[in-house]
Amino acid sequence: MIFSELYSAYYNTVAAILSKIIDGERSERELQKLVTEKAFGESVLTILPSLKNEKWQLIHSDMTTTLEHKPTMPLTTLQKRWLKAISLDPRIRLFGVEFPDLDDVEPLFTSEDYFIYDRYSDGDPFDNEEYVRQFRIILEAIRNHSQIRFEMINRKGNPMYVRCYPVRLEYSEKDDKFRLVTAGCRAVATVNLAKIKNCTHYNGEKQLVGHERDVKYDTVVVKLTDERNALERFMLHFAHFEKRVEKLDRKHYFIRIKYAHDDEPEMVIRILSFGPLVEVMESENFRNLVIEKLKKQKSCGLR
Amino acid sequence: MSSYSELIKNFERIRAYMREFYIYGFKSRDDYSKKSARSYDDERRRIESWLGSHMSFVRTPEGKNVFISIDSRSIRHNPFYNAWKAKSFTDGDITLHFIIFDILYAPEVRHTLAEIMDLIDEKYLSGFEFPMMFDESTVRKKLKEYTSEGIIVTEKEGRKVYYRRGVDVDICGLNDILHYYSEVAPCGVIGSFILDKSEHHEDNFTFKHHYITGAIDSGIMAALFIAMREKRALTISNLSKKKDLPRRCRIIPLRILISVQNGRQHLVAYLPEFNSFHAYRLDYLSNAKLEEVTPRFDELRSELDRMQDKMWGVNVKHSKWGHDHLEHVEFVIRIGEHEDYIIQRLEREKRVGRIERIDDNTYRFIADVYDTGEMIPWIRTFICRIVKMNFSNRTVENRFKEDLKAMYKMYGIEEVAE
Repeated sequence: MIFSELYSAYYNTVAAILSKIIDGERSERELQKLVTEKAFGESVLTILPSLKNEKWQLIHSDMTTTLEHKPTMPLTTLQKRWLKAISLDPRIRLFGVEFPDLDDVEPLFTSEDYFIYDRYSDGDPFDNEEYVRQFRIILEAIRNHSQIRFEMINRKGNPMYVRCYPVRLEYSEKDDKFRLVTAGCRAVATVNLAKIKNCTHYNGEKQLVGHERDVKYDTVVVKLTDERNALERFMLHFAHFEKRVEKLDRKHYFIRIKYAHDDEPEMVIRILSFGPLVEVMESENFRNLVIEKLKKQKSCGLR
Repeated sequence: MSSYSELIKNFERIRAYMREFYIYGFKSRDDYSKKSARSYDDERRRIESWLGSHMSFVRTPEGKNVFISIDSRSIRHNPFYNAWKAKSFTDGDITLHFIIFDILYAPEVRHTLAEIMDLIDEKYLSGFEFPMMFDESTVRKKLKEYTSEGIIVTEKEGRKVYYRRGVDVDICGLNDILHYYSEVAPCGVIGSFILDKSEHHEDNFTFKHHYITGAIDSGIMAALFIAMREKRALTISNLSKKKDLPRRCRIIPLRILISVQNGRQHLVAYLPEFNSFHAYRLDYLSNAKLEEVTPRFDELRSELDRMQDKMWGVNVKHSKWGHDHLEHVEFVIRIGEHEDYIIQRLEREKRVGRIERIDDNTYRFIADVYDTGEMIPWIRTFICRIVKMNFSNRTVENRFKEDLKAMYKMYGIEEVAE
C-alpha cells in the first residue's frame, strides 16, 4: 500500500527525464544531473542506462520518446485520504489556504485514532485570531525574504521593538509551539511565536545585514549500564541527536551526544530521568550540574 | 545468482536494519550473526545509497561499525522516507506505467482495454528494435491495480468497459502545509510522496524534539488506521522481546499512542481471546491482515477513553472481569523564591492527576494511575526538590529511593547536613 513503486524515486526521476526530453533536452549530462538530484546514490548506474538500452522502452537511442505528454499521475486514494486527514487538524487554519475539494474522501485517520500522550499542555493558541494573523504575516515574509516588525517583552520584563528578517519557523512537537528564527537583529535570534505582539510587515527602506545566528553546540559523554532495558530506552530517547556509541563490555557503553548549548538545562533533567543507569562523565561542567541537583535533593530530607 | 540492486521488494528486512543502525550503531558486521554476511553487506550498501551523508562509520577492535547519526533539528525532511521510495519493479511495470498515463493523458480521454492494447503495440513499442510484448491479461491486471489505487477509474457502457485517469487534486497552494505536516502528522511519508510531485520546494520549517524513527513503521501505522476507520479486527504478528519468532494474534485496534518525549509509538488494542486491553509497540508489529468488522468497536473505544484518564503512558491494568487496578501516587516538592516556573512546569507536564498548594513553597502532586513505574522518569526530573513521597506501590517507591542513594554514591556525594 504505502510501499509501492508508484511513489518511488525511480518513477519520479523517469517522469522528470521524460518531461525534459519532451521539452527538447538531449544532453545526457543534464539528464544524469536529474538522476543525481532526484534518486539515490547509485541510481546513476541504473536509470539512464536502462532507458538508453531500451530495457525500459520509453526512449529511443537518439534520446527521443514516443510519449506525447509530460508524465503526470493523479493522486492515489491513499494520498487523498492523508490530505483529508490533515485538513481536519486544527492547526491547518494557520496556513489560510483553501483546501482542495475532498468531500467524498474518507480521512486516513482522525484525532480519535491517535493520541500524543506526553505533549505539554501549554502549547501555542492555534485558535487565537491574532496568533493566526501574525503567523501568516511571518510566513509570507519568510517566503518573500522581506522584513517584519513586532513587539515583545524581554527577559527583564521590559517591552522591546524588533525589526528583522524572519528566516524559518521551528516547531517543537513536545512543546507544541512555534519559534521564529531571525536574521539581522542582534538582540533577538529566536523568539516564541506566542510572545510576539503587533506583528506587521516592514515596508520602510532601512536595510538589515546579518545571517541567522550559528547554534553553539556542546557535547556530553555518559556511561550507561544496560539494566532494565536502559540501552534501548536511552538510545530511543536521544534518537534525535547526533551521537556516537562505544561498547565497553557486555553491559556498559560510552555515549557521546552533541546538543545545543541553550538546551543544557533540559538535557540535565533528561539525563537525570535515567537515574543511576546513566552517569555523566564529561564535561566537568555538566557533571557538576547533576551533582548540584543531587546535593540539593539530599538536603530535602526524603526518607 | 541475482545481482545487487538498490531497490527492494520487501520492506520488513530493511526495517530491522535501519532501526539497528539508527538506534544502536555500535554493532559490527559480526554482531549481525543471525543474517548472512552478504545480506548484511547488501542492506548496508542500500541504506548508504538512500541516506548518503547521514551514514557514518567507525573502526573499533571488533571491526567496522556502521551507524546513522542525525541531528533532526538540522534537517528539513526525514531522510528515512527515502526507504519507502525504493520499491523494486519489473521492466514491464515501468514501461507500461508511463505508456498507460500517456494514453490516458487527460480526464476526458477514455479507452477500452482493446484500444489501449492496440495503442501500446502500434504507437508506443513498434519503433523499438526488440519491442516488449504485453498480453491482454497483464495490461488488464495493471489497470485493475491502478483502479484499486484510485488513479484509474472505469466506466461501463453496455458490455464495454472504458478506462480513464482518476480525478486529480490541485495541490499547488499546499506547499507549506505539505512541508509542515509531512514531518509532524502520522504517516507523514505520504505527504512526502505528494511533495515529490511538485517541482520547486520552498521549505520554511524546521523541527525540534523531532523523532524521525517512527517513519520506518509508517506501513503498519497506515494499516492500523485503515482497520480503525473501518472498525475491523486484525490479525497481526507481534515480536515479543522474550521470543525469537513473532506471534500471530487477533486484536481489535483502538488507538495509536504516540510519544514526543521518548520516540515510541504504541497501539492500544483489545484482545477478544483474553478479554483484555494491551499496548503493543509499533516497531514490533508486522504483517497486518484485515478481518471482519466488529460491532463492539465503539463500546471498546469508549472504554479506552475512560481508561486514558488513569494512564500516564501506555500501560493498562485492567482485569478480564473489567476491574481497574489503580495505584496511588503522591509526592511533595519544595520551590524557592522566584521559582514559580517549577509549578508551571508541573502544570504543563502532568498528564493526569492534580496539584495541591500546601504553602508558598510546597506543592503536592496527586494521581491514581495504572502503572506508577511509568511515572518514575518524570518524577526524577524534579530531583533537587522532592521532600516527600507516598506511593501505594511500595516496591516502586523503595526502588526510587534506592536509585537516589545509588546516584549519590555514583557521584561521590557525602552526607549533607539537614
